[in-house]
Parts: sequence; structure tokens; C-alpha cells
Amino acid sequence: MTARMKLGAFLWATGHHIAAWRHPKAHVTAGVDIDHYIQLARTAEAAKFDMIFCEDAAGLREANVGIASQTSRSIGFEPISLLSALAVQTSRIGLVSTASTSYNEPYGLARTFLSLDHLSGGRAGWNLVTSASPIEAANFGSTGLKPHADRYERAREFAEVVTGLWHGNAPGHDGQSFSVHDPLDLPRSPQGAPVMVQAGASDVGRDLAARTADVVFTAAQTFEEAKAFYDDLKGRMAAYGREPDDIKIMPGVSPVVAQTEAEAREKHEELQELIPDDVGVALLSSYLSISDLWRHPIDGPLPELPESEGMKSRQALVVEQSRRDGLSIRQLARHFAGARGHWRIVGTAAQVADELQARFEGGAADGFNVMPSYFPGELDAFATLVVPELQRRGLFRRDYEGRTLRDHLGLKRPA
Amino acid sequence: MHLAISLDIAAATREAVLDFSRISKFVLQAEAAGVDMVAISDSADGPSSSPFEATTLLAALATVTNRIGLVASASTIAHQPYNLARRFASLDIISHGRAGWNATMAQSAGEAANFSRPEGFSDADFRRRSEEYIGIVQGLWQGWDADALLFDKSGGRFHDPEKMHLLDHKGEFFSVRGPLNVARSPQDTPVLVLSGLSEPDLDNAARTADVIFMDSGSVESTKIRFDDLKRRVAARGRDPDAVKMLATVPLAADETPTTVADRLETQFRAKSCDGFDIRLPARHPALDDFAERVLPELRRRGLVRETYRGATLRAHLGLAGGGDQ
Repeated sequence: MTARMKLGAFLWATGHHIAAWRHPKAHVTAGVDIDHYIQLARTAEAAKFDMIFCEDAAGLREANVGIASQTSRSIGFEPISLLSALAVQTSRIGLVSTASTSYNEPYGLARTFLSLDHLSGGRAGWNLVTSASPIEAANFGSTGLKPHADRYERAREFAEVVTGLWHGNAPGHDGQSFSVHDPLDLPRSPQGAPVMVQAGASDVGRDLAARTADVVFTAAQTFEEAKAFYDDLKGRMAAYGREPDDIKIMPGVSPVVAQTEAEAREKHEELQELIPDDVGVALLSSYLSISDLWRHPIDGPLPELPESEGMKSRQALVVEQSRRDGLSIRQLARHFAGARGHWRIVGTAAQVADELQARFEGGAADGFNVMPSYFPGELDAFATLVVPELQRRGLFRRDYEGRTLRDHLGLKRPA
Repeated sequence: MHLAISLDIAAATREAVLDFSRISKFVLQAEAAGVDMVAISDSADGPSSSPFEATTLLAALATVTNRIGLVASASTIAHQPYNLARRFASLDIISHGRAGWNATMAQSAGEAANFSRPEGFSDADFRRRSEEYIGIVQGLWQGWDADALLFDKSGGRFHDPEKMHLLDHKGEFFSVRGPLNVARSPQDTPVLVLSGLSEPDLDNAARTADVIFMDSGSVESTKIRFDDLKRRVAARGRDPDAVKMLATVPLAADETPTTVADRLETQFRAKSCDGFDIRLPARHPALDDFAERVLPELRRRGLVRETYRGATLRAHLGLAGGGDQ
């Protein structure tokens, strides 16, 4: 049997496109409608996705309230409660939530995710992130951001404690950032331990992933970028005594798919037209961790940027793209606003499948985290058009083979 | 008479504890019996009375029930106030306005040691910290006005920025800017249940609580505490009826339904409480006895309403608004 690609359904607000909520067919009340999420989860499960994926931030996405009020991202469900609700409304699909090591404690987080894992019969996963947003920091009594290296040192210790607790160790941990006295009061996970997902792509982030992650979620625009990341990360694993197959690398992809290419392009253009300029520029600013981008002429090039303590890897990606394609701030803003710096494919099911297949078979991805531009329409389109095409090509499962998320992903059960 | 059932899940048979379907059947039975709420206790130190972390269990229960209130314990040591406020705000939307947070004012000795605070807090510090914490959580729950979301696609206005409010709290233990990134509760704010109160906690409880769980003693001693508490509530400028005091009563196995009903009726008619927090092991025979024999007897005596009148936990409890803030 040939290897099968892994697919995540990345559920976020009204959709991954910044203007998704304005689309006539977008479910605009998604952030207050649990039935909408139950329906999305069932759609993804019927299409045999490996997992649902939720992002998280402990604060608003945008400091400028005028900008924030033109997007749908200021309100939504808290993901642990959301996935716990979905756990008992689904039976097979994996449930992965993001949670930050910056504003949680490892004992509480380990216990909460293990509880979700038991509720779901072994389908839970934790996406480890460190928080770089000053908006989040202001909700936790912090006046300034910790330097990048400190955040990752805390994350490394955090992950070590969580993994130890999941493996049933009595920790007696007394470290730099955390101390934990007791073991968890829950039995071992039905899948050995919840799945560990990571997303950081900086050098220190890659090392942490190579050492502890089961799945890596990444952003890559081109095949070359994706391949370079894939080879680099898999190459780091031997140092930690791990096999390359012990990590599944799943780049984000934001497809816009329709019966014909013209129809797909039209659909995409319709969304792009709905992005207000100030919103696009603000979103780009936050990815670049600079606050005064709006001062520069919108039809001019991106200015030179200072080193920031924010998201290093994402910044490099944006700058590279702008220089490579000679894009103005407005063009770049629209481009990134649409797919948030992730890979976008606009076309028919066969065209989308071709692109995914090329990266999968070319050794640049083990699967993909699918980021529908708006809900529920684009998730439905992927499930009904692209998934059957991938199945016909033998690239994706026709049914679940196992019960747990580790089963779906083909991951070893930890000892 | 208001009725809560506090589930002691670990007291049920060991093999049942990690079985969600059995817990949910139990809660559905409590819902069919028309009780105001079930309360799931939780503790992150040593044997917990809930095998599932309580907020995750509450979220799951919310999707399989329709009317019953769902209250989860969550510790002020285990969570940052922003995270806790957010979790419960989300639970309240998932449950369509049926969620409550049970905050204990008693510091658990072992818990701090699992949350990087091996030294714990002095009683005085813990009390001031808890008061500040509750103020933050209730403030965050009111960060979005009920009509803040516009959903105006063509006008490009998702929400009205004037109706989103920063908390800007800077206190002794926490500083929290806010707002939450969760919409306003369908019942205004989640219900705040306070338990584990000692004398110095009463004024803050009178100011902030919607429900208080209080250990019951003799009718006389319970009434003295009830009257004292209601005086404190009035002194804070709140309607004494805005805080429901439920006396915690464990059910003894050897009591007949009539004896239990008599006991509850005597306490209630003496105006020593607004209702009861019934401690039950999550075993069907225990609930069967209560739901099928005690409750009908209480209803026959006109002490308990026949069925749910409203849709939210606040409606079940006869509470308006979200405290006096």
C-alpha cells in the first residue's frame, strides 16, 4: 500500500480569509453557534479527515478596535471547551487544539488535554505554541514580551513536564519555570498519550519540534520552501534518537475549489474584493510585528524592517515573498490577508489534487492542514470535490482504519 | 425551593468513572426530574471527585442536555483569571446560557504544589487574591454588551467598537486589560457559585455571588447564617433574593423518601435556606430514589416547581442580571 496523506480540517471563525464573514454564503454567527461547529466536525469526519485543528489566542487579534470591528475574529469559542463539546458529537476524527506555554501551567494543561483524550476515546492532540502577542501579554500582567529564546526555554521545560505527566510519571519536578509535585489523577491515555503538535518554524522552534513533536504544522508558499523545511526538520530528529516517520509534517493550504477553474478564480476574486484596505494592511502589520506600516504609501514597496522579538519565521516568509514578486504593500496585504501567509491553490478538484500530490510525493509534506477560506462552503467543497479525487488516486483513506488519532496518523504508541 | 445535585462521580463504581455515556445518562435523568442544576466538583490534587477535568466534562454534557444548569468547579490556583473567564464564557455559549462557575474560597493544600507555587498562599493573601480574581472574572464577563455584535456583512461592521469595553484592571495580584475574545453570555453572565466560605469571606460573597453553597447544621444554626448573609447582601445594595443560599445535604442511604422530604421541608419552611445542594454519588439507584420518590413528594407538597419555566440557569434560579456590577 502506498503511503496516504494526512489531512487536518483547520476550523477558524467564519473562515481563514480575512473577509470570509462578509461572503454571502458564510455563516456569520459561527462564533456563537455551537451547532455550526458540530456540523463542520461531522462534515470533516464524514470526509475521513485525520483531525480537526483549532488555533487559539488569549486575547484579541487586533489592537486597533476600528480594524478589529471589521473582522469576525474578536469573538469565538475557547477551543478546549469547543473540542470537548465536539468530542461527544463525533466518534472517529482527531481533535487538536492550540494552547500556549506562556500563559498556562503544565499540570493543568496536561490534565485538561488528557481529560479531552478520555472523553474522545483517544482522539486528542495539543498544538504547543509560545505567545508573542503584546495583546495577549496584557491579559496576564506582563508589561513586556519575553525574548524569543526565553519563551522557548519555558516551552521546552513545559513540554517535558506535560509529556512526563501523560506517561504516568510521578514528576517531583522542580525546574526553572515550573514545579509539579503529584502525578495526574487520570489513567493513561487510550492512545498512550495525546498527540503533540507544534508550529514554530524558527531554529529553536525546529529543535523543540524534532525532539518532542508528533505533528508539525507549518507555512510554506513554494515547493522549495516546503521541501527545505521538511528535510531540515526530519534531519534534526536523529540527534534525539527518533525516526523521520515519527513526525508528520503538515503544511497549511488554503484551497479555493470549484467545478471549473474560472469559477474558482471568480470565487476567490469575490472574497479578495471584500477586504477593506485598512484591514489588509493591519493584518500584514501584525504578521510583520510592526505597528506603523500604514504610514507607508500603500502602493509602494515594503519598507526595511527591524529585527523583532515576534514571529521570526513568519516575518522572513513575508519579506521574501514581497521581494521575490515585487509586490506593493496593498498587493502583499491582500495576498496575505487571504491565506494568512499559507499556501493558496485556486482551481478545480483535479488541479488542487495535482498540487497536493506533487508536494506529498515530492517529499515536501506528509499531509496538509486544510484552511477553508469560508465556512461552511469551502470545507464542503473540499470534502465533496477534492477528497474523492484524492481517494481515486489512492492518496487518501476511504475509511478510518483505527480508533485513535495516533492510529489515523500512523504514529507509534508511546511506551 | 431550588435544587442542585452535586455529583460525586468517584463514589460510583470504579469502572463507571471514565464512562461519559453513564455520566450523561445520570445528568439526563436529573434533567428529566427538573432540578435546577448539576454541579461537578473538581480538584487537581490527589483523588478528585470528577475523573474528567470538570470544564471539559461540562462542555460535553452541554451538548447532550437542553435545560438543566451545569456548574463546574475550577480553581483560582490552577487557572489564570483571563483563561478561566474565557473558558466559562465559552461554556455558557455552548450550553445556551446554562453554565456556572463554582469557585471555592478554601485553599487546597496540595494544589499549589502542582502549579509552581510550592509555598502556597497565606490565608489572608489567598482571600485577597480570590476577591480580586472574582472581580476580574465578573468584569471580563461584561466586556461585550449584549447588542455588540452587528453581523452587518454589506456595511462591513461585524461588531460595534463602542460596545466592547476594556477591563484595564491593575491590582495587587493581577493586571488584566481585556476584553475577552468570547461574546456576551446568553444569560448575561455565567452564574457565580461560591463554596467553602468562612466568616471573613461573607461580605465579598454577599457582593458577588449568585449562589452560595453552605454546609447545613441544625435548622437554627443554618437559619442564623442565612439571615446574616441576606442582611449582608442587602447592606451591599442588592436585593436579598439576588443571592440564593443552598444548604448542602448529603443523602444517607438509610433514610426513607418521606424522612428526606420531611427534613428538607422543615429546613425550607423555617426560611433557613433558598434550597438545597444534594450530594449524590453518580449511581443510578441513589438518583432513582431522589428523582422518583423524594422529588414527587416535594412536588406534592408544593415545594418544588413542576418543570423548567425558562431556558437559562439564571431563569431556573429566578436570578436577573449578573450581580450588582
